[in-house]
Amino acid sequence: MRAFLAGFGLELRIVRAAPDALIPLVTAPLFALIFLSIVRQSGRPDLQADALMAPVLMTLWWIALQNAGNMITGDRWQALLEPLLATPASLASVLLGRIVALTCLGLVSFLEVWAIGELVYGVSIPFEHPVALGLTLLVTALATAGVSVAFAAVFVLTRNAYTFTNSLSYPLYLLGGVLVPVAILPGWIQPVSSAIFMSWSADLLRASLKPSPIDDLWQRLGLVVLLGAISFLIGRALLFHVMQRMRVKGELAAA
Amino acid sequence: MTALATTVNVMHHAFRAGLADYRAIFTWKSWLAGWMVRVIAQVAFFALLGERIGDDQKTFYLLVGNSILVAALTGVFSLNMTTAERWAGTLPLLVASPSSPIIVFSARGSYLAVDGALSALAALFIAGPMFGMDLPWPRVLAVVPLTALVALASYCFGTFLAGIVFRFRSINSLVVLTTHVSLMAACGVNVPLSDYPDALEWFSRVLPVTNGLLAIRGVFEGADAATILRDAALEAAVAGGWMTLALASFNQLASRGRRDGSLDYGA
Repeated sequence: MRAFLAGFGLELRIVRAAPDALIPLVTAPLFALIFLSIVRQSGRPDLQADALMAPVLMTLWWIALQNAGNMITGDRWQALLEPLLATPASLASVLLGRIVALTCLGLVSFLEVWAIGELVYGVSIPFEHPVALGLTLLVTALATAGVSVAFAAVFVLTRNAYTFTNSLSYPLYLLGGVLVPVAILPGWIQPVSSAIFMSWSADLLRASLKPSPIDDLWQRLGLVVLLGAISFLIGRALLFHVMQRMRVKGELAAA
Repeated sequence: MTALATTVNVMHHAFRAGLADYRAIFTWKSWLAGWMVRVIAQVAFFALLGERIGDDQKTFYLLVGNSILVAALTGVFSLNMTTAERWAGTLPLLVASPSSPIIVFSARGSYLAVDGALSALAALFIAGPMFGMDLPWPRVLAVVPLTALVALASYCFGTFLAGIVFRFRSINSLVVLTTHVSLMAACGVNVPLSDYPDALEWFSRVLPVTNGLLAIRGVFEGADAATILRDAALEAAVAGGWMTLALASFNQLASRGRRDGSLDYGA
């Protein structure tokens, strides 16, 4: 826990000094305007709330993925990886803390899309189930961070993490049903989507904005947490093995 | 060696350096399994919104717009060139050399226009049939040069922005991302221009993509050749305009950087 908190605090300080990690917060309102303009122009005002929620999920994922991809590489280039591994703290916990700090900041996108919807189109977020909405956003931010740790571990093995971070955005938005429910995807893709935490988060977010009661709220929230936790544990194990291999081969320092 | 031969020689070497950069980022496997999968997912993401809306015409509208947008996204990546030079530590050397930096930058990143056009066409011709879109033969062949024109115009626009970023490098990533999403929002990619406020509609006409995309939509909608050619000519004029602005501003911006010593890592 101390390693997690240390990572959390460290990332907040890094962002304060260099806020580049939060650039997706600039594009979130633009995406909200794009989605809103499409559904309004098509005469489907019933989809406006969904159009506002999609950029929030996209921002969370983009911030986490982009930074997870660069975190270990960045530490390696700054010769921080070796002293970091020499400490008794778990690298995965430090990484998780750092990414959770970013995803928490990414939640600001919710306020942004709310404001831009109101200002430009007079469209508000319908707070039909505010507690469910708040809890969904919170567990989504945590699960996103957990999954990002797994990706961070994989990215260390790649020649160029940028290739992968850049390539994983839209496939996940699509499979995660960020804007369009998974039910609309071809049948053969749907089982894959079910294994992605984002699909459960997106469905819950949409459900929390509709007046009808939410079915199985706690089970669905639990599933988001579970999928995020499983990803984190896989990432932690993977990270351990990758770091062991790099230690043995003397590859910790950047060439 | 004549001045022209020297310029061609510099451009040739810069182009080869750009290709080497690109090969360091992508192998053909990672290009296909990473980049192309992302591009097709991006187009499908928007086309599926059309399916959800329940209107085939809207699906095709979104599919065509977002496929062609890929050409622009890649073309605009050229503005990353200055930052790449900075991190490589070659920016001050480049400015100190007798060649104009814009000659180097424009040639070095030109592979991006080629990549953008190829990616956009692949997205269109793969995602189109996936969503049951008709690709009228042989009219659809006209889309190939028009997409190349959009990629070129976007590349010229990106080169102009590279000049701005040259002076204000700390905002490089911000400019790249906001330019991408702004082009997506303002160029008639997702909704017709008539849906925009008048000022935005006028502004979108001087951005890359808008006119070229109208020409491409004209091909699919069976518009007459004169209309398509007029929109294509406007896209070419936009490309020329942005490149002229780039040529006019770039060297001046570089000189200012040399004067105030901001060309190194410090800015």
